[in-house]
Amino acid sequence: MTNLEKYKNAFCEAFQIEDSKLTGLIYQAIPTWDSVGHMALVAALEQEFDIMMETDDIIELSSFEKGMEILSKNYEIVF
Amino acid sequence: MILNSKNAIITGCIQGIGKATLEEFAKNGANIWACALEYNEDFEAYCQKLSDENNIWVKPVYFNLLNQDEIKVGLKKIASDKLPIDILVNIAGMTKDAITHMVTMDQMKLIFEINFFSQIYLTQFVTKLMIRQGYGSVVNTSSISAIDGSYGQLSYSSSKAALIGATKTLSKELASKGVRVNAIAPGVISTDMNKIVPDSIIQENIKKMKIKRLGKADEVAKTILFLASDLSNYITGQIIRIDGGIK
Repeated sequence: MTNLEKYKNAFCEAFQIEDSKLTGLIYQAIPTWDSVGHMALVAALEQEFDIMMETDDIIELSSFEKGMEILSKNYEIVF
Repeated sequence: MILNSKNAIITGCIQGIGKATLEEFAKNGANIWACALEYNEDFEAYCQKLSDENNIWVKPVYFNLLNQDEIKVGLKKIASDKLPIDILVNIAGMTKDAITHMVTMDQMKLIFEINFFSQIYLTQFVTKLMIRQGYGSVVNTSSISAIDGSYGQLSYSSSKAALIGATKTLSKELASKGVRVNAIAPGVISTDMNKIVPDSIIQENIKKMKIKRLGKADEVAKTILFLASDLSNYITGQIIRIDGGIK
């Protein structure tokens, strides 16, 4: 599985949505991406990529695209 | 066995309430990541003994609660097992008693770092996984001194009071995701931590109790067992006093 597929899976699993809805998705745009759902997403990303995200990064993770940027920049994950 | 096949993280397992909880959980069928400050040969052997006797696994995990990087390494070790985490019990803590005007800010910060901030850091990490699982139980260790106040324990009682606030807030945030959060508030318990307390003060405390003796670590551990287990499925956001009815 590629890193992009893993990344998408984490979102789909955490928010129970299809990957066709991921592009442009932002925090709190759907009911399942609330503050608690956000933690489920972070847990999913941490498990998929075997990382522990810093609190600042968790707060910054405000959209599907921003998350990729954070993982690339701060956790050396190549998409 | 109340915790059959459940996986639990317990901090502060070397002595006192932590060690008693480790034993109680092992006897009740839990697999345990047993957290302690630093490598200890006797502790390693003890964990192995508990594993063998109870047909479970007990894995020692070492980190210093004053060092967030060490905590992170410990948590990554636990996460690398890729197992569900059913229970988190935050027990590790310390006290440094002095009356209010003799407490330095550095001492206050030290006690808060161990008794509060590090526990929150652990809890943030573990409850993320619990939210994802859709279940979990967290038990924090506060103190009656957080509720009643305690002469000469400004830093300790304040840090334990902060933990009560966190327990209640977390219980509200996480209940809808199947995660319960409760705390215990032990009174005067017969542990190494209390060995430094002068006997006259101990006797004075006993006089105030309805049950005229010190509590035992295993009595506290049994309450933790209850709160951690499915026996307390409808209980969250509660602070349970274990104090012999002290007034």
